[in-house]
Amino acid sequence: MINLLLFPILLPFFFAMILMLFPKKILAQRTVASTALVLTFGVTLVLLYKVKTNGIQAITLGSWPAPFGISMVSDMLSVLLVLSSTLIALLVVWYSFSSIGKDRESFFYYPGILFMLTGVNGAFTTGDIFNMFVFFEVLLMSSYLLIVLGGEKGQLRESIKYILVNVISSALFVVTVAYLYSVIGTLNMADISVKIAQIDQPGIITVIAVLFLLVFGLKGAIFPLYFWLPSSYAAPPIPVLALFGALLTKVGVYAIMRTYTLFFTLDQGFTHEMLMILSILTIIAGCIGALAYFDVKKIIIYNIIIAVGVILFGASQMNEAALMGSVFYLIHDILIKGALFLLIGVIIAITGTSDLRKMGGLIKTYPMLGWTYLIAAFGLAGIPPLSGFIGKLLIVQGGFEAGNLWGSILILLSSLAVLLSVIRIFIYAFWGETVEIKPLTRQHYRGLFMPAVILVAISVLYGVGSEWLVPYMSDAASVLLEPALYIKAVLGGA
Amino acid sequence: MSFVYFIFIPMLAALVIPFLYKKVRGIHTGWFVLAVPVILFSLYTTFLSKVKNGESFTSSFEWIPSLNISVTSYIDGLSLLFSLLITGIGSLVVLYSIFYLDKTREQLHNFYVYLLLFMTAMLGVVQSDHMISLYFFWELTSISSFLLIGYWYKRDRSRFGALKSMMITVFGGLMMLGGFVLLSIMGDTYSIRELIASAPELGNHEWFVWSLILILLGAFTKSAQFPFYIWLPDAMEAPTPVSAYLHSATMVKAGLYLVARFTPIFASSEWWIWLVTGIGLLTLFWGSFFALKQTDLKGILAFSTVSQLGLIMSLLGAGAISFHTGIEEDSIFKYAAFAAIFHLVNHATFKGSLFMIAGIVDHETGTRDIRKLGGLMSMMPISFTIALIGSFSMAGLPPFNGFLSKEMFLTGMLSIQDFNLFAFDTWGILFPIIAWIASVFTFIYSFYFVFRTFTGKHKPDLLPKQAHEAPIGMLISPAILGSLVVAIFFIPNVIGDVLVKPAVVAIQPYLYDVPEDIHIHIKAWHGPNIELWMTIGIVLLGYLLYATLSKWQPLYNKFPQGFTLNRLYDTMMFLSEVGTNRLTRFYMTGFIRSYLVYMFTGIVLLTISTVFIKEAFDISFATLAPIRFYELIIALVLIAGTLTILLAKSRLTSIIALGAVGYSVALFFVIFNAPDLALTQLVIETVSVALFLLAFYHLPKLNRHENRMKFRLGNALVAIGVGVTVTIVALSAHSQKLVPSISSYYEKTVYKEAGGGNIVNVILVDYRGFDTLFEIAVLAIASLGIIALIQLRLTKKKEVNRIEDK
Repeated sequence: MINLLLFPILLPFFFAMILMLFPKKILAQRTVASTALVLTFGVTLVLLYKVKTNGIQAITLGSWPAPFGISMVSDMLSVLLVLSSTLIALLVVWYSFSSIGKDRESFFYYPGILFMLTGVNGAFTTGDIFNMFVFFEVLLMSSYLLIVLGGEKGQLRESIKYILVNVISSALFVVTVAYLYSVIGTLNMADISVKIAQIDQPGIITVIAVLFLLVFGLKGAIFPLYFWLPSSYAAPPIPVLALFGALLTKVGVYAIMRTYTLFFTLDQGFTHEMLMILSILTIIAGCIGALAYFDVKKIIIYNIIIAVGVILFGASQMNEAALMGSVFYLIHDILIKGALFLLIGVIIAITGTSDLRKMGGLIKTYPMLGWTYLIAAFGLAGIPPLSGFIGKLLIVQGGFEAGNLWGSILILLSSLAVLLSVIRIFIYAFWGETVEIKPLTRQHYRGLFMPAVILVAISVLYGVGSEWLVPYMSDAASVLLEPALYIKAVLGGA
Repeated sequence: MSFVYFIFIPMLAALVIPFLYKKVRGIHTGWFVLAVPVILFSLYTTFLSKVKNGESFTSSFEWIPSLNISVTSYIDGLSLLFSLLITGIGSLVVLYSIFYLDKTREQLHNFYVYLLLFMTAMLGVVQSDHMISLYFFWELTSISSFLLIGYWYKRDRSRFGALKSMMITVFGGLMMLGGFVLLSIMGDTYSIRELIASAPELGNHEWFVWSLILILLGAFTKSAQFPFYIWLPDAMEAPTPVSAYLHSATMVKAGLYLVARFTPIFASSEWWIWLVTGIGLLTLFWGSFFALKQTDLKGILAFSTVSQLGLIMSLLGAGAISFHTGIEEDSIFKYAAFAAIFHLVNHATFKGSLFMIAGIVDHETGTRDIRKLGGLMSMMPISFTIALIGSFSMAGLPPFNGFLSKEMFLTGMLSIQDFNLFAFDTWGILFPIIAWIASVFTFIYSFYFVFRTFTGKHKPDLLPKQAHEAPIGMLISPAILGSLVVAIFFIPNVIGDVLVKPAVVAIQPYLYDVPEDIHIHIKAWHGPNIELWMTIGIVLLGYLLYATLSKWQPLYNKFPQGFTLNRLYDTMMFLSEVGTNRLTRFYMTGFIRSYLVYMFTGIVLLTISTVFIKEAFDISFATLAPIRFYELIIALVLIAGTLTILLAKSRLTSIIALGAVGYSVALFFVIFNAPDLALTQLVIETVSVALFLLAFYHLPKLNRHENRMKFRLGNALVAIGVGVTVTIVALSAHSQKLVPSISSYYEKTVYKEAGGGNIVNVILVDYRGFDTLFEIAVLAIASLGIIALIQLRLTKKKEVNRIEDK
């Protein structure tokens, strides 16, 4: 089956359309949405197996030869991202049953999530730069739906900013694609790589490379383009925040990694140096923000920005260790951010506030929650053997190998800031004098806690079982290191 | 034998503890826990006889073989000595804790889980040959220490101390990891033994000193060396058994272990010798000097520990000198490492017992404040005896083990001035002087600790509890340690041969192959040499100063409070909380217009500078059509419309101007032969102007924010910048069509293969039909959003109620 790689895009799309037909039947919405995600997850597992055994999967739609039709490409990196995104969506949907509320559920909440996953999976899979723009639009439009859904005052206030920034970034995206098309006359990413190599990346291509970095950087929230993110993300309810936080910036990061390894590779002294400097500044800005707030949501949101910096630092080093570390860290961050957002969601549900200074002593009443949170926090900070460690180790190693001593040491120091920011939540919320709370009902608590625990457990396995992951990660990194593999899979032949 | 799994026995036991605690409430959980270190201790003693002969053992399991990451347990003299310390002192501490911690009032399961975790971590640190697993266990010790210090998590000081210790030690750990990674790149292995084997080549590498300093940061933070020691006094908030175990006998010695273990790699560097010896000596002095400022019994012991750790550190540094002098030369440096290890053992015995006594005093009187204590000798005679033994040993008096190692220490420091490399021959004289002064202070605080507590006037009204002797169970552990203090003095060479020499071989493999090569015999009496005179001086001056302590102790309060290291830490933490908050609020204004200004500025600067640096600007008129007169007019209308939007005072004018702009763009499409686009544009313009006019009624009055000139100028600048950038890049991209476009393929195939006439339509529905499908989907999603936005309006209040309904 050559079009297997389309299923992770089409399945959620198809089910989302079905869900639009009976928005008010909540039970049916829940069942169909979960079924769709389980199916998607299953298909993606099969796809993963296929990519592992048969190599990169590629198809050009409408039976047009590449580069004239739209190519869809599933290499190891993209299938891993699709898999983890689908997993997050599945657990978030489960979590939503007990948290999002019937009103939202009957107003296209689940179709919104499925549409967003369509866009996310599409963006990870496409091999065509304009088609990537289209999938960006799909995921952005669904995210607009999700962010305004409910129409609370704060939500609306932040949504307008979110939409404004993203509309601008979409416009910039189209403009940049137009520039690129004007110079090299093609949209297929493999073909772009070939053509840029033919003309040896002249200055104008480097300018376009920088513009792409900025376009994707707006999505991925790098310095100096992250400013819109913190307050916009804090507005929607927790499950939506978890989805956004775990997935949306990663699409931008993926796009940077893809374009900067596949075709903008001939002037690394300029482009990748700039990427490295921006990612270091991103880390610093993220650390400052993560330490600045007593609002649990804000703390974790700023940690997204730090992680983006760390991953891109790895990507900018362009050696095997660092790229593999980046892939390791990228997937880790999807899992752990999802887990942390769900966990702080539980904390907020219990205490009724997101202000740390109004919390305390939860460890007595909710010990399991406390320990789970602590493990997740250590995982985020990269304490071995948890999930963040291997990725960070490899990134640091790659940084040293590339001769960037200070940058690598800064990555290590950023771990300290990350640790401080998340351990502060533990100390304030779980330690200290007990603050009066209205306990949740057992059923409600379980509905919130279980998805979070499962996600933390997966992330722990991800760290401890790194050995089983290495073959996958090294496949993913090898495509990033050798664009020829990708090009061959798409264009065929030599 | 797969003894690598021994390391994990405590961790596995920790899994069972919570159940035992819940199910068997009648028996103190500590009794079950006690079995773990006792069994491990006896298991490790079986290695003694072989290790004594210089044998070593390895056992490992692979964690991530693809990346060469494994957990390897390597047992040689050094790691065995530490393993015995960890399990031996561990057993005594657990025994002590059974009587110290009340089984009904305390959360014992938490306590013992943390303690067992720590045991695994610590065994792992000292046995790991693989640097990554060493780092893993290293961080685990920091974490378990964090949890143990924060054990009484409701107390502010506990939480503060827990966080402080974790921040400082994890910082060191991360730096150490950096050093490890550098080493592994240089030596192409993570195995410490293999690195030692290739040590001579490593020395020439440009990163050698980097890795050295990074690793020392790890060692110095963990072993509470200057200036990182500040976490240790605050760590005293932990229950006393923890202080005795982690913060005196074992965890804080991990840094010493690290220095000892890496000596064979780094000894060749003068950085190593200077830093380890110098910082060690500074810490020795600093700790002993400020110990006398303390009024909390555990505070005194904490500073004393800092100081003693510095002493051992400086000896390890002096020991590294032997790398340069070699074995033939009859220098004292080859004894320094021996003295370091010997003192490490002695320190564990006397300091362990003293901590336990401090705990007993606290437990039985309700306070550790030395100003409230006094005259406890008659009430607590056994405790007093043990305290006396411990303190005299710490002060370096015979007949206790501290005397022996102190003499060796003085010998080592005296000989540094004879070393004629790295400028030691000029500065070396300072070393014995500082060592001597520090020893005087050590003498004073030892006396201060024991006599202020047990002699003098009893002040029962100041004590929260009626003082009495501790239960016998609590006295067992300190008594055992106390008797070791005495015993070692009389049979030092047994300890020397069995424990110390095999460890020294591990530190100085360049001098010795097997422990028998070490010809060191510990003697209490060396005749009237300079060390003896120094000791006599210490006793005389020390006693004199102790007797007059009350006269000069207040001087400590004269030190400026603003410049202490603690203040520095507090300031950093303050900056990390409040400082970052203020900074963030400065630029995170909450207004999208500020963010847009930042973002556009960034975009413009980065893009324009790239254009200039890469000389990408190019403009060619070759392929352009001539500009016709009416095109110019439409362009002028466009510009005028745009300016009107910006400057209009009323919203209505702006909307109309916006429409004019849109229609002129549509006109351009008409002129340039793109009727489809022109139609689309016209429809969109019409609809959006109509919609705007519909919404117009509901909009608030036009209110231009921030009419200040500066603000508007800034915005204008950014806006013009964006426009110019987009134009420049567009012109350049248009002028550099370097590769022929793929569009010729569409021209060729549109009739024959796609079967369509209009190439644009065929692209939309066939060549790129996939795009169109999802563009349509975008519209559908947008409509869902609009329906939801119109129909669903939740308020916060309703939200809360709804959640409670569930």
